[in-house]
Amino acid sequence: MMDFVHGALATLVLLTLVKSAPIVYAALGGVISERSGIVNIGLEGMMTGGAFAAVVASYATGNAAVGLVAGVAVGALLGFVLGYGATKFKVDQIVAGMGINLIASGGAAYGLVLLFNQPGASPQVHALGRWYWLLILFAFVCAFALHHVLYRTPWGLRVRACGENPRAVTSAGLDPLRFRLYAAVISGALAGLGGAFLSIGEVNIYSEGMTAGRGFIALAAVIFGRWTPWGATGAAVFFGFFEALQFVLQGRVAWLPSEAMQALPYLAALVALCGLVGKVRAPASDGVPY
Amino acid sequence: MDLDVSAGEIHALVGENGAGKSTLAGIAFGSIAPDAGTVSAGGTVGLVHQHFELVGRLRVWQNIMLGREPRKGWHVDTNAARARVAELARRNGLPIDPDAFVDELAIGIQQRVELLRELEREPSVLLLDEPTAALAPAEIDAFFGTIVQLAARGTAVLVVTHKLQEVINYSKRVTVMRHGKIVAHFETAKTSVDEIARAMVGGNLPAVAARAATAPSPCFVADGLFAGESETAIAGIGFAVRSGEIVGIAGVEGNGQTTLADAVAGMIPYRGTIHIGGNAGIIPQDRNKEALVMNWSIVDNALLGRQHTPRVRHGLLLDRNVARADAQAIVDRLDVRCATLDVAVKTLSGGNQQKLVVGRSLFGEPRFVLAYNPTRGIDVGAAALVQSRLIEARNGGAAVLLISFELDEILAVADRILVMYRGAIVGEFERASVDRATIGRLMAGSR
Repeated sequence: MMDFVHGALATLVLLTLVKSAPIVYAALGGVISERSGIVNIGLEGMMTGGAFAAVVASYATGNAAVGLVAGVAVGALLGFVLGYGATKFKVDQIVAGMGINLIASGGAAYGLVLLFNQPGASPQVHALGRWYWLLILFAFVCAFALHHVLYRTPWGLRVRACGENPRAVTSAGLDPLRFRLYAAVISGALAGLGGAFLSIGEVNIYSEGMTAGRGFIALAAVIFGRWTPWGATGAAVFFGFFEALQFVLQGRVAWLPSEAMQALPYLAALVALCGLVGKVRAPASDGVPY
Repeated sequence: MDLDVSAGEIHALVGENGAGKSTLAGIAFGSIAPDAGTVSAGGTVGLVHQHFELVGRLRVWQNIMLGREPRKGWHVDTNAARARVAELARRNGLPIDPDAFVDELAIGIQQRVELLRELEREPSVLLLDEPTAALAPAEIDAFFGTIVQLAARGTAVLVVTHKLQEVINYSKRVTVMRHGKIVAHFETAKTSVDEIARAMVGGNLPAVAARAATAPSPCFVADGLFAGESETAIAGIGFAVRSGEIVGIAGVEGNGQTTLADAVAGMIPYRGTIHIGGNAGIIPQDRNKEALVMNWSIVDNALLGRQHTPRVRHGLLLDRNVARADAQAIVDRLDVRCATLDVAVKTLSGGNQQKLVVGRSLFGEPRFVLAYNPTRGIDVGAAALVQSRLIEARNGGAAVLLISFELDEILAVADRILVMYRGAIVGEFERASVDRATIGRLMAGSR
């Protein structure tokens, strides 16, 4: 019995790290874009784009590292689309984000048929193998780096000012739209990295719907973490824990159907956010075109 | 048009709303490109905005040093930044805590931050766009005290304003604009408020409506009123406003006026009793936040608050024709200048927005009117119009409660004056027996 508990606990801890990492990446992406004033509801699509691009590039080159780079690049590209639309054309950020989600999931589904001639999932490709542990560690390095950039550097101060009152940034003789565009691109790159981790890190294929709402869970983590890098990281790990718990309990708790168990992380997100109602404040100009 | 401002001079630029003052200031600052002509400045130009361009959730030093952060390697050198702000504040005689968060500061102190941010760039020309619109009287004096010192040290100052008393008190020369043109130049020492006002409106000021004799009877009664908390709470306030009477509440901003107005308007909970004998019209303090939906048309805004009355509502539907006719009546009566009734109110100037709010609140002849700073931030012509409409409502038998930070406005309009200090009423005066000096002392808290 004790062995079983120990084994389950060790599994739970390791699995929590594995399940948290992609959410951490996407949540950090959410933090930087929202702190600059762009609501990034397209995190889910950027993850999908990153996951699919990573598999395609790994398939084409036989090199998982190239896949990783491709995932980041496609995420950044989608981030650029959001940022450019939000700054240059002042489109509604929610609509643009949803558009990115639809394009990414539809594009990946079409790509599966076009490139691999098989709907639903890609063939197996070269994955990162043991390197993916490094990628888990790197997620927390990113959190540290983002905290440092936002709170200690001039660039971070300006990004935060953009999210609060872009007119103040203009008064200081700077262009807030440039900061927002850069923030959106970085946001997409981070989400793309999280997506690539899902497809060529955890497993070695792309299957349709594999992001499974993690981009939205990451958005919840941004709010739960009060728009701070460490807060969002902690919240992402919290949600990752419930995803891991769901795996560990799978088949061990007979009376609960597995579908109900799979809803655990989403339920956790819902409860966490309900408990926060009225207690958190978004950046003042978050989602407001300038 | 030609305008020159000399080093060491405070030059006032006055004109009604929409006369082109802000455009001229924007061109001088460089944020608006001129269609033709040139602007030259002997050095850099700083601009203090009417609505402060600050980041509330950043610290004072972060706001001031934004864009010019001292660096240490990759980082902001926070100690150097704080020291620079402290030194800047000391040099200009504007004491400030560099580490305070801006949104926790009083309005007057926030303006100090905005001013310091511009001064950090050591401008040789300083533009002030309606700098005192949001300030209390004491803050205004302190603010101009600083500006006078700045000018004495050689900065050229251009003040865009429509508060003529400030022009007389502090400027050296005055330029008057009307409809995008300069219509007059004055040496301040050789002119008067009346002369400037006539130049602004292009003729004589519209006369404020005459007061007709009325037969006052009780209409509004507040008794034992407690509301709010801490510094802006009101405690045990009781007074009556009779129909056919304007009661003015005088006081320095922050002495509980907002709490009183919110309690009377039913927006916050209170203890005690408030009795209002009839329908009420309310002119809130902040037209942006409390009165208008900026993206809606004039028709829809004019309808707001009356949408359930039988006049415009037939079953589940609104009668758009009546709503439009009512909006037209309001626009006509208050002289709201607009292209059509369908433009969004955000496209109107501040003065015209305020006239719309006043017109709406007076529509349908309310028995009681609450007017909280009804002429704040609007030009003299519009202010006279608004005051006239309030007096006409009084003449027609309405009870009007006027809360204003401008003592002159209260003296001009009110039948009876109550002085508010620290949440209590500390004095009462009849119109016939007003003593300005005594009111001033009571407002400042001394007997």
